[in-house]
Amino acid sequence: MLQVRQASVFFEQGGGRIVQALKRVSLDLPTGGIVMALGASGCGKSTLLNAIAGFLPLSEGVILLDGMPVERPGADRGVVFQKDALLPWRSAADNVALGLEYAGMPRRERRERAEALLRLVHLEGFADARPNELSGGMRQRVGLARALATDPKVLLMDEPFGALDSQTREHMQDLLVEVWAKTAKQVFFITHSIEEALMLGTTILVMLPRPGRIVAHWELDFVQRIAAGEKAEAVRREKRFGALHDEIRTLIHAGEQVGSVQ
Amino acid sequence: MTLAAAKDKDQDQATPAGSSRPNTVRPRTYGLADRPTLAISLAALAVLLVVWELVTRFGLVQSLFLPTPGEVWTQFVAVSTDGYAGATLSEHIGASLLRIFTAAVIASSTAIPIGLAMGLNRWAKGLADPIIEFYWPLPPLAYLPLMIIWLGIGESSKITLLTLAMFAPICLSAQAGVRGLPVERINAALSLGGTRWQVLRTVILPGALPEILTGVRIAIGVGWSTLVAAELIAATRGIGFMIMSAAQFLATDVVFVGIGVIAVFAFTFSLGLQLLERWLVPWKGPQ
Ligand SMILES: Nc1ncnc2c1ncn2[C@@H]1O[C@H](COP(=O)(O)OP(=O)(O)O)[C@@H](O)[C@H]1O
Ligand SMILES: [Mg+2]
Repeated sequence: MLQVRQASVFFEQGGGRIVQALKRVSLDLPTGGIVMALGASGCGKSTLLNAIAGFLPLSEGVILLDGMPVERPGADRGVVFQKDALLPWRSAADNVALGLEYAGMPRRERRERAEALLRLVHLEGFADARPNELSGGMRQRVGLARALATDPKVLLMDEPFGALDSQTREHMQDLLVEVWAKTAKQVFFITHSIEEALMLGTTILVMLPRPGRIVAHWELDFVQRIAAGEKAEAVRREKRFGALHDEIRTLIHAGEQVGSVQ
Repeated sequence: MTLAAAKDKDQDQATPAGSSRPNTVRPRTYGLADRPTLAISLAALAVLLVVWELVTRFGLVQSLFLPTPGEVWTQFVAVSTDGYAGATLSEHIGASLLRIFTAAVIASSTAIPIGLAMGLNRWAKGLADPIIEFYWPLPPLAYLPLMIIWLGIGESSKITLLTLAMFAPICLSAQAGVRGLPVERINAALSLGGTRWQVLRTVILPGALPEILTGVRIAIGVGWSTLVAAELIAATRGIGFMIMSAAQFLATDVVFVGIGVIAVFAFTFSLGLQLLERWLVPWKGPQ
């Protein structure tokens, strides 16, 4: 279980101005849960994710993974980036196998596992394609397979579908649900789409800026029901879905208003 | 839109491609956008040769200053078979190539790791920066006397001079290559469990390779231009030496042979490195 406790982050910006990107943020990532972080841009979502990934030290507070403090990046926390961070000189399979290579797995075994992961994200037949031969959606799927390869406990995703067109985005959401149902991970997923948060999250966090903080959270069951076979369309048309959508939008909007007055 | 225009449009779409080649267009861009330049270059060379031939044939310039293309060719054949200044042309070329090649190997194998380290480590950057920034702008001819005093007049002073001249461009480009890497790639590798060494080998080095190869190309060019200076140091072989000896006897045609040989080799090296680049970094370039 990953726990964030009283995490604060201060940045120094140009001209010596101090910005508080996170203010005493606490959260748990339960195993088998998808925690969706929502909020206007600049409210500290990426800062929080980067701290969990180990890319960024905290000013105050602590992050624990199974009781052990998290200080640097590691294979127990897989990251899917918004802009794909694939290596352009490696084939899709070799990109997926990168973490396995680091772990010292023999070449043949690596290749087999990479191909199995590419099947999992529906990219069979593209093992030898280079990233620049793949579409944006396919590259994000390679990125997901790569992050899953080392079987991390935590999966961190920073607006991974943000740059995709809406149709590809829906495919990717279905895929994530499918993968999530097969592998019990603690997922932390950033988005600025309320709809995406409602469709994918077992928990939704809403963050507000200046200083970045969590102001509300909801436990949901839409994604469990979709994974169990209910139609996504039907779930989306439910009254509670629409009501939550409006409530969250109002909350984020009001926070922005307050923020801009300050 | 009129009915006639609509009909026209339908017909356009129905025209099978290839029945008559359509007038294809490209977006307007700045720069070249990889349009071919070979034909233009060949034409320019041809014009230059014709002008040279005409200028010398009609005696506009004395043959002492500018020999005819024919004379240069005759001299090229003579120097190839009989030699000049105590060695055949191929021996001169061999001596020069060996120096350039040795210097390139030494410079690359030191400048690449040092440049990478400078791009990654504060101490490496802090220590090496003042030294490189100090000597890099100096013309090699200025520190040539020091090389002779310290290392004598043998091969080592020549190769050291060439190595120093080639070191800086490779080192600076390796550094730039590291700086230009997207931080996401490094972070991704670290979060896949890569150690510093593994990340260096699998992400940083290949990522910096295109810049490094550009640096090597520039360095080889710098090497050729430093070569003549290096071979001033009491050499008995070498293209630069051959040119200098010929100049003393006003053998302009031999000077031209030497210049031609250097040009051909420099061009070949550059082309070879471009091919190497295309082979090593096929993901770079037009997508
Ligand atoms: N490296 C940094 N240096 C200075 N300020 C930063 C840095 N990274 C983020 N910030 C600031 O922290 C705040 C939160 O940023 P971020 O976490 O990227 O927001 P989000 O991902 O929610 O859009 C912003 O005000 C941003 O300007
Ligand atoms: Mg962000």
